[in-house]
Amino acid sequence: MNDRRRNIFVLLLVAGLFAASIAVIALMPTKLGLDLKGGVQLVYQARPTAQSKVDPESLERSIDIMRKRVDQLGVAQPEIQRSGAQEIDVDLPDVSNAQRAEAEVGKTAQLYFYDWEPNVIGPTGKPAGATEPTVTGGAAAGTSEAGLPQYQAVLRAAKRPAILRKTATTLEPGCTPQQEKGCIYGSWYLIDTAHEKMLCSGGKPICQPQETEQDLYADGYKPPAGSKPKAVRVNPGTILLQARPVESPKTGKVTQQSPNSFYVLNDEPVLTGADITNPQQGFDEGGGGSGAPNVNFGFTSHGKQVFQRVTKEIAHRGQEAQLPGVSKEAAQQHFAVALDGQLITAPSIDYTQYPEGIDATQGSQISGGFTITSAQALADELQSGALPIRLELISNSQVSATLGKTALHQGLVAGLIGFAVVCMFLLLFYRVLGMIAVGGLIIYGAYFFALIKLIPITLTLPGIAGLILTIGIAADANIVIFERVKEEIRGGRSIVSGIATGYTRGFAAIVDANVVTFMTAFILFALATAEVKGFAFMLGIGTMLTLFTAVLATRAALGTMGRTRLMSHSWALGAGKPKREWTFDFMGASKWFFSLSGTILLIGALAIGGKGLNFGIDFKSGTRIQTAFVRPVTSAEVSAVMSAEGYPTAQVQKYSSKGVGGSGYQISTEKLKPTAVHEVKSALDTKFGGGPNSPGTRDFSSTSIGPTFGQTIANSAVIAIIASLLVISAYIALRFEWKYAIPVLIALMHDLLITSGIYALTGREVTSATVAALLTILGYSLYDTIIVFDRVRENVPRMPRAAFSQIVNRSMSEVLTRSLATSFCTLLPVLALLLFGGSTLKDFAFALMVGIASGAYSSIFIASPVLTHWKEREGGYRQRRARIVRELGAVPAYATAIGGAPVDVEPERKKRRSRRGLAEEPGEQISRDEFRELVQDLDVDGVAQGGKRAPTSVAQSAGAPGAPNGDGDGAPASKRAPTRDPAADLTPEDLVLKQAPKPREKRSRRPRNKRHGRSR
Amino acid sequence: MGMLGWVMMGLAIWHFTIFLPDRFWGGIVGAFVGSLFGAIIVGLIIYGAKVGALKVPGQKATDIAVVLYAVPGALLGIAAVYFEGMRREHHAR
Repeated sequence: MNDRRRNIFVLLLVAGLFAASIAVIALMPTKLGLDLKGGVQLVYQARPTAQSKVDPESLERSIDIMRKRVDQLGVAQPEIQRSGAQEIDVDLPDVSNAQRAEAEVGKTAQLYFYDWEPNVIGPTGKPAGATEPTVTGGAAAGTSEAGLPQYQAVLRAAKRPAILRKTATTLEPGCTPQQEKGCIYGSWYLIDTAHEKMLCSGGKPICQPQETEQDLYADGYKPPAGSKPKAVRVNPGTILLQARPVESPKTGKVTQQSPNSFYVLNDEPVLTGADITNPQQGFDEGGGGSGAPNVNFGFTSHGKQVFQRVTKEIAHRGQEAQLPGVSKEAAQQHFAVALDGQLITAPSIDYTQYPEGIDATQGSQISGGFTITSAQALADELQSGALPIRLELISNSQVSATLGKTALHQGLVAGLIGFAVVCMFLLLFYRVLGMIAVGGLIIYGAYFFALIKLIPITLTLPGIAGLILTIGIAADANIVIFERVKEEIRGGRSIVSGIATGYTRGFAAIVDANVVTFMTAFILFALATAEVKGFAFMLGIGTMLTLFTAVLATRAALGTMGRTRLMSHSWALGAGKPKREWTFDFMGASKWFFSLSGTILLIGALAIGGKGLNFGIDFKSGTRIQTAFVRPVTSAEVSAVMSAEGYPTAQVQKYSSKGVGGSGYQISTEKLKPTAVHEVKSALDTKFGGGPNSPGTRDFSSTSIGPTFGQTIANSAVIAIIASLLVISAYIALRFEWKYAIPVLIALMHDLLITSGIYALTGREVTSATVAALLTILGYSLYDTIIVFDRVRENVPRMPRAAFSQIVNRSMSEVLTRSLATSFCTLLPVLALLLFGGSTLKDFAFALMVGIASGAYSSIFIASPVLTHWKEREGGYRQRRARIVRELGAVPAYATAIGGAPVDVEPERKKRRSRRGLAEEPGEQISRDEFRELVQDLDVDGVAQGGKRAPTSVAQSAGAPGAPNGDGDGAPASKRAPTRDPAADLTPEDLVLKQAPKPREKRSRRPRNKRHGRSR
Repeated sequence: MGMLGWVMMGLAIWHFTIFLPDRFWGGIVGAFVGSLFGAIIVGLIIYGAKVGALKVPGQKATDIAVVLYAVPGALLGIAAVYFEGMRREHHAR
């Protein structure tokens, strides 16, 4: 297939895909995220239990169970997915009751069955056995009368040594009582030995166990004055079970759900919730049944066997305990059922009725103290299954649908404006080439949007930010190639040849830059949290798509148009005027740019110390409520309501956005549970509303973040940064040279730290969006550096006698325009985000803007000088430098030869096998400059001009003493005729034959045998 | 947060090594490593001596003085790399 046919084929493919994309865009719906359409988002962190560890299997099982529960809620299109190593993200669109969602979805419902008497622990710290009814409760087993207050129960449990069983998660490697590797080793309680009571926030009489000693003081908890706090650990293998809810003896209804009465048990359940099947709400209707609501269930085959065996053992023990003088009730032994740490029931096993145990083929039942609703709820929980692991709600957000729509509108407007300004820039700067680039961008936009709908990708605000950023990256790819095309045309190539060569030579830089960006996006996607994931996914897909639209499609378009009248003039491509040469001594001035960076970093470091970073609630934990009011209210009135609700320290700020109008307020307070948020909303509705059916608030949104959420984000970010740096370094070392990787890493560090310093200086809030943007800077700031390094790599073999600083100076002067144009082009859509995006998008945009600007600067003024300093220590470059200094007294900024001609040699390129029957590739044809260089190398110009040989010495003239500047005639240098340094590289003269070619041997006049080798 | 401050301070000071003759062991990259390690290690030592435990200061514990703990470390690190470079240069001759 020749070039023309190939171009037409590509264009037809592009057109076909474009038409298909338009059809997809028109016909398929867009899947919007919660932040764009409203709903409830719950983020859980998985914690191991004594019996089950957190692993991919337990997480997947939990997700399945949660999905069943969400289905029971009747939520349309819920999304439940793993996020990071231990988090589960639950998105419930169009749900407005976060309280109910949280109650239903994350309930652990861990059900355990215990053989009661052998496991209840007595005052000695050992199982009491059947003979101590004062410990086990006897006939009143499991009730609140026989239990201990929690304080006493904790002290009793603390006496027990650790018992590690085969299934215990504490057997994990590295799990020690010191919890060095963050394992869960028993449970912690804080007690007040002075007043013999439990200590926890809120002064509650019953406290939940904590995983670590530090957790006892979480959220800044301080024990009250006068108390003697003592942290007590209950070792693994022992558990505190709360007694059954207290029921009214007359009505049978629950009068106290959570009594301060506990039993200490040897934690060795015989069955778990996984061993039961088909739980259903029913009624106790058997012989002598009370008719009260209960829960019926069956057993799995394993459950049946164990249940029968254990009930048989219990019956036998009861029989043995039936001594003379002991009543049957007192002798009967018990089987206890506990749900989420509280006993539900502890029925006795009648040994006379079931001497061989209870046959479980007909199933069993849990009864006692249920209402129809509570029995139904338990049946539902058991139906969906008990979660194998404990889930801690670390973040919950509720977004109103109106605010979501506003955010979407703002994102789209910012995206369109960004797109428009990028197009305008391309048209103004590159004219006809710009038109093709704009066409490429439109195609890119259509493909990308179609992919979003096809896959489908849930579109979120961070995703929109990623999409807008990729517009800049797509345009960058075109700029890199167009600058190269212009360079080739200015160098004397024809339009067609210039286009072909420009694409061929620019392609390596584009691939390197895009692959690095893609790798960063991939690592972000694999390691980061949910919000960052959406952003990374968009960035990754966009980067890959860029290679197709910005390189393949535009090349085919240009290749086809190359011979048309529209492209016949170089001015149409913006290559009419000679290129403005940068003659700045970049390496010489690097001292001052280093000083500038050092000063900025110094100020940033002092700002970090003085002001610190302003972390948002994502990192600090807390609740943020944003709401508008139906009538004008003052912040003092809102504060008064918050104080009345028990939150006097709540910060109330005026908040306005397009969605909420001018009557909005933002309330920041300590972390509130969904119930508490609901109470605050009700209080605000009542205070500022016009009655029960006229609530006072509208567009109510809330976000509650737990203390571990920020830690999770920070940890995943650190891992992502380290992984990205390693992968990027490896790639650069492979594609370039390992010494090129270190300056890149230093420049990246420079960019990230400068951005952090500017955040500290400006006091802008650091959110999870900021972290995502910082990680993106990691990928993007490499883009510019790779463009510069790519040219250095290209120029090194071209300039075999130049010092490395001269090679870098030359490379910089060649790519500076390109670098500035790409950075400016990426900054344009980011600026649109900053000006027109909503608050989340503005967070992204600010960090990106600082990072991109810093990235462009560091690639020129940090990475390149570091590379130069380091490379110049190498033996070869040191000798070159010494030679230049010996010859010229100093190393000039730019290397040029006599007459201003460059000292380049054309490096040997890999020869492509020419295809028979086809014309030579346009890119393989020689340009005017190359021809002139070749002539100079062969030293025939002098002969051609005057018949006399011109001096062949090469001089370094620019800026050198005796050689005023790079454009000078170089006469003083030429007069010197330097002696040859044996250590120096080959000169162009060495490539020329030193002796005149031998005359061709006269061949014999014997006529050629035309039939030689042919068969007769 | 303290670690961020120390690394920033170390990096800031390293930028000014460009004014020194390149005799560092490992060149400008050696100076970078020396500055960063020096800043972190001496920062940890000074802060550790102050609070009685070898730990990195958190957000609340980080102030300007804590960030400045990195200065002597960075300078010492750079000096160490410089003199080692000179020593090796001398040996090579």
